[in-house]
Amino acid sequence: MSSAKDPSGTGREPVAVARADDGGIDHETGAHPRPASETGAGWSWRRPELGLAVLVLALGAFVIVGTADVAAAGSSFGLGPRFFPALVGAAMLLIGSFYVIDVLRGGHGDPEDAEDADSGARADWRTVALVSVIFLAFAGLLDLLGWIIAGALLFFGLSVTLGAPHRLRAGVVAILLSTATYLAFVKGLGVTLPAGLLSGVI
Amino acid sequence: MLLEGFATALTPVNLLYALVGVTLGTLVGVLPGIGPAMTVALLLPITFTVPPASAFIMFAGIYYGGMYGGSTTSILLNTPGESSSMITALEGNKMAKRGRAAQALATAAIGSFVAGTIATALLVVAAPLVVDFAISFGPEDYFALALLAFTAVSSVLSRSVVRGLASLGLGLVIGLIGIDQQTGQARLTLGVPQLLDGIDVVIVAVGLFAVGEVLYVASRLRHGPPEVIPVGRAFLGHSDWSRSWRPWLRGTALGFPFGALPGGGAEIPTFLSYSIEKRLARGIAREEYGKGAIEGVAGPEAANNASAAGTLVPLLTLGLPTSATAAILLAAFQQYGLQPGPQLFDHNPALVWGMIASLFVGNTMLLVLNLPLAPLWARVLHIPRPYLYSGIALFAALGVYALNSSWVELVILYLLGLLGFAMRRFGLPVAPAVIGLILGPMAEIQLRRALAIGAGDVTVLVRSPIAATLLVVAVLALFTPLIRKAAARRGA
Repeated sequence: MSSAKDPSGTGREPVAVARADDGGIDHETGAHPRPASETGAGWSWRRPELGLAVLVLALGAFVIVGTADVAAAGSSFGLGPRFFPALVGAAMLLIGSFYVIDVLRGGHGDPEDAEDADSGARADWRTVALVSVIFLAFAGLLDLLGWIIAGALLFFGLSVTLGAPHRLRAGVVAILLSTATYLAFVKGLGVTLPAGLLSGVI
Repeated sequence: MLLEGFATALTPVNLLYALVGVTLGTLVGVLPGIGPAMTVALLLPITFTVPPASAFIMFAGIYYGGMYGGSTTSILLNTPGESSSMITALEGNKMAKRGRAAQALATAAIGSFVAGTIATALLVVAAPLVVDFAISFGPEDYFALALLAFTAVSSVLSRSVVRGLASLGLGLVIGLIGIDQQTGQARLTLGVPQLLDGIDVVIVAVGLFAVGEVLYVASRLRHGPPEVIPVGRAFLGHSDWSRSWRPWLRGTALGFPFGALPGGGAEIPTFLSYSIEKRLARGIAREEYGKGAIEGVAGPEAANNASAAGTLVPLLTLGLPTSATAAILLAAFQQYGLQPGPQLFDHNPALVWGMIASLFVGNTMLLVLNLPLAPLWARVLHIPRPYLYSGIALFAALGVYALNSSWVELVILYLLGLLGFAMRRFGLPVAPAVIGLILGPMAEIQLRRALAIGAGDVTVLVRSPIAATLLVVAVLALFTPLIRKAAARRGA
């Protein structure tokens, strides 16, 4: 569950992120390296990236503490199952410390350039939250509703959230896609997907 | 050996798998938001019933196809996604805007074919040499090699070493979760039974790449339809040929060795090729550079493809992945119970050489797919983005659910997606995490084996000259960016 904890740590402070984000950031999307000292120089505790840096640090401690009670029996020369995790944990503590210091001193990474993401745009937390809710609801309801219905709802919900202009068209595409994937993967490739509510029909 | 490989690769079934692979690879290469690493990861659960030779022929096709497709996107869309095709966009998109899209696509495709073919031939020559050398490697050498891969990939792929290392560490920690292979002890599972087997590589790769990308795009979506430059059939005029062939060869010469180095990847050789072509530009090329010179597309694209073949040298001969896609391919080998390395060439020659032979076949298919069909691939770029990213999320869920039919794993997938989102948002490269995840457990086994042989004596790790050299290089790789930065500061 280590990975289960970490991202929520960063996701929990959307307000702070959005606010800090507006602080005069004008990212060029080109490949020109920008002096790190240009934006947000100086010490500050209010940096969203701090969450990720602290997470790295905390994971280091978690690895060391979390493997402390693992029985070390059965291996020769004391190199049991605790040895490598201790190395990794120590390295994470070291890296995490440097990372925290770097963030506090105003260092920052460059947001990734993606084809469809405008790295200069203001972060839209409402859309992220909606996408998250839809995806998690899909995960929870999949076994009950079955792949065709749950998959169609997932596709429809996400495409409308992401700005599909025609709802009817999005709905038709959603049903076609979830049905087609079900037929292709279950009947064609032998993958197990839940039939759910439609189990008698298909 | 290679001839036997062709016998494997040229059976009708495997030709079909190669065709499926290169088509799928080109498609995901063209499509923004997904790449070959994620595609191979998604296909892992469903290809389990396919014989390994066929599966790897398809995966290799996806890998090469992704390289071809990526150049189409960067030339026609000018919003570089994969960093390896970022350089191509510099000149390629300007060529396209001046109405020379067909020539830019053609020099990219033919250059990729030339480079891919030459580099695969180099792979055929180099692989047995490395195997002969690596056959004597002990566990301490493999451990040193893994450390080198860790530091090199972390310091090269990110502008900030600490962020690259943080990414690597995240991957290593995820790799620790589950039952220790040697003693059967559960580690870091927090009592969750689904975590006893560890978090599957598929979930991590799909979470970090696909779900992370969907969330990132959702947070800052470009509104309005994408501006795709229209294009007809790709072709080269006489003067374009004479301007392209030298950059192709130079790009190949740069790409192959860098691809084979740990942490080399495609970014450095494409960039080097771009600046070398710029320096060598004379006459019309000099005038056009920065406004769409064909040399600036031909060289980097060749370097890009040659580096893909170069990546396969350490992967197949040493089991050492140097890129995210290579790491996923390594996981695929493990899924079939195979361990790349010198022994693989001994025990499974049909598989290895069949895969290598299929690279020649796949390259030829890709040339045919990409030259006349360029307008078709350009149409793919018009897919409305809401549908594209919803589809990516749907297929990500499908691939992960197909593993164990577990909704808990879908939740883990989402959480890893959040991590991938945070990494994108704060500029942490994803590749070190994937490499740490897959190479970490192997590094642990080799380390424990080496120390057991040395009876607890730590100096065993540096007793072999190979291991000592590799460790020194690993430390150097870690500090190179710092030294470079310091030197730049003094120079300025």
